Amino acid sequence: FFCRNLFTRKQSFSRFEKQNDVGWKLFGKVPLRENSQKDPKKIQKEYEEKTGRAHRPLSPKQNVRKNLDFEPLSTTALILEDRPANLPAKPAEEAQKHRQQYEEMVVQAKKRELKEAQKRKKQLEERCKLEDSIGNAVLTWNNEILPNWETMCCSRKVRELWWQGIPPSVRGKVWSLAIGNELNITHELYDICLARAKEKWRSLSTGGAEVECEDAGFSAADREASLELIKLDISRTFPNLCIFQQGGPYHDTLHSILGAYTCYRPDVGYVQGMSFIAAVLILNLDTADAFIAFSNLLNKPCQMAFFRVDHGLMLTYFAAFEVFFEENLPKLFAHFKKNNLTPDIYLIDWIFTLYSKSLPLDLACRVWDVFCRDGEEFLFRTALGILKLFEDILTKMDFIHIAQFLTKLPEDLPSEEFFASIAAIQMQSRNKKWAQVKRMLIFDNR
Amino acid sequence: MEQKAMPGTSLDGIRPTYLYKVVLLGSSSVGKSSLAYRYVKNDFKESLPTVGCSFFTQTLNLEAGTVKFEIWDTAGQEKYHSVCHLYYRGAHAALLVYDITNKETLNRAKLWLRDLEKEFLPDEIVIALVGNKTDLAAEREVATEEGEEFARTKGLLFMETSAKSNHQVNDIFMAIAQELLQQEQKKASAPSPHGRSTVNLRESRARMGCC
Repeated sequence: FFCRNLFTRKQSFSRFEKQNDVGWKLFGKVPLRENSQKDPKKIQKEYEEKTGRAHRPLSPKQNVRKNLDFEPLSTTALILEDRPANLPAKPAEEAQKHRQQYEEMVVQAKKRELKEAQKRKKQLEERCKLEDSIGNAVLTWNNEILPNWETMCCSRKVRELWWQGIPPSVRGKVWSLAIGNELNITHELYDICLARAKEKWRSLSTGGAEVECEDAGFSAADREASLELIKLDISRTFPNLCIFQQGGPYHDTLHSILGAYTCYRPDVGYVQGMSFIAAVLILNLDTADAFIAFSNLLNKPCQMAFFRVDHGLMLTYFAAFEVFFEENLPKLFAHFKKNNLTPDIYLIDWIFTLYSKSLPLDLACRVWDVFCRDGEEFLFRTALGILKLFEDILTKMDFIHIAQFLTKLPEDLPSEEFFASIAAIQMQSRNKKWAQVKRMLIFDNR
Repeated sequence: MEQKAMPGTSLDGIRPTYLYKVVLLGSSSVGKSSLAYRYVKNDFKESLPTVGCSFFTQTLNLEAGTVKFEIWDTAGQEKYHSVCHLYYRGAHAALLVYDITNKETLNRAKLWLRDLEKEFLPDEIVIALVGNKTDLAAEREVATEEGEEFARTKGLLFMETSAKSNHQVNDIFMAIAQELLQQEQKKASAPSPHGRSTVNLRESRARMGCC
């Protein structure tokens, strides 16, 4: 009994394999491969033509993989075959029905594959288009705008291009130019500040005698705390990128810039949030230039007010923000008022870190782009853009949920919608612009 | 007290709901955000430095009622102090967090206590002193007794915790909830002839509701 059973099974199994093999050839591979091979090749060709890259033949391995992508996932050939010998044969009409069903499945699968191929093609085309436009923008920035910065930076055409986002390869240069160097910081000055910072670190780590108090008025303890805190915060700056952490390529750079700044401006020192700003600059500029941009950026009135934690002045900024909030989003403004939700709850984090902690990095950089173009008012316009983007859900939330939501924004913000939302914000209130409103409020406070 | 976890059933209709604002105060890097994160999400990850304030919520279904915590997790750096002192206004409970491996942070916690004492009357706020990072016992700079003794003299709740290894994190928040509820009951049963105004003030601040 056992023997026979085993034997039949074996037999049927080998038959099964054979049929399977034939089946694949007949129904699986042949028709589909022909059809599927066409598209990716065509796409590839178009892509190469567009990007101007030389045609690189695919290795056989890549070829196989590509074809596999288009193969319908099925062992459907089985359905068509006769049943194993130990089972009663399929009736003719059932076999016919199965064949029909199988053919329908193949048609469906083909359709699906075609659709997906088209979708991929479209995505590829869009990417090419984007790369093209970035490529063109790089040329425009490098050849036309940057050499004639003073005359061109304010032209309409440049401002429009600027809004689209500065290509990463010229971003650092544009930021540097736009931020300027009012403080006239030289590379030598940076070296001097850095040398001083290093000296202090050394005396801190050896626990040696107190460094002489040359920066009168700022206690050594305070400076010590600053230097300690820098160390702690560096590892907590963009931890996902893994480049600023101990042993990472930019760890020392970030450490140096923040340390040098505490020596350059002991009156400001290190304030949490700064590490994020310095890190974004380091990603786009060389060390000394990043330091120059960092110091000049922090020297702007809005940044000075915040980083010196000048509470009165911060309140003035919040009040000016609320003027435009009410103007642009009256319903949400009323809802926030009703829930006692003051702007400091969400603005402090956004303004201190210039959105680099709260937005995805690519979006944050685009906000920085326009911030460099339009100045501080764009930071507040961005805030209103965020509120507008989420107006519907925010109006349904209570205090704590709004606070939670705004201090931890969703990670998958759609960039086009996001910037469209900012663009829809009018920085004009009863014919008054941001600067005028702010000036009036400062005047009122006196 | 027996703790019952009940989802929003009809029972909730009978039991009162209490909403409490809890603030976390203390030096930078003592683990305020990590404590909140552990308590609310039961997880540990390296937190980014808090700029301004971040927020958490947690709901406890206890026998005496439902307790909803609004947790305000403040920035630790001293320079933010002038901003952060706004954040403890109206709080029902405060956790003064220090790092047991850094003596200086306990001193800083004591300063926060002085601030709170200026802002609140003793029965207006429940304060807990929390020595965090017991997982780093080898680097300990503050003896358990030292924190305990200070808490005792000032009438604070006290616990040592580790957000990283999940040591007593739930317990400290539970202790705060129990303390708040006890005060609630005390007020309901025996309104003191004196200090009535403070009681009323407190009751109006503890936003009570039924759902």
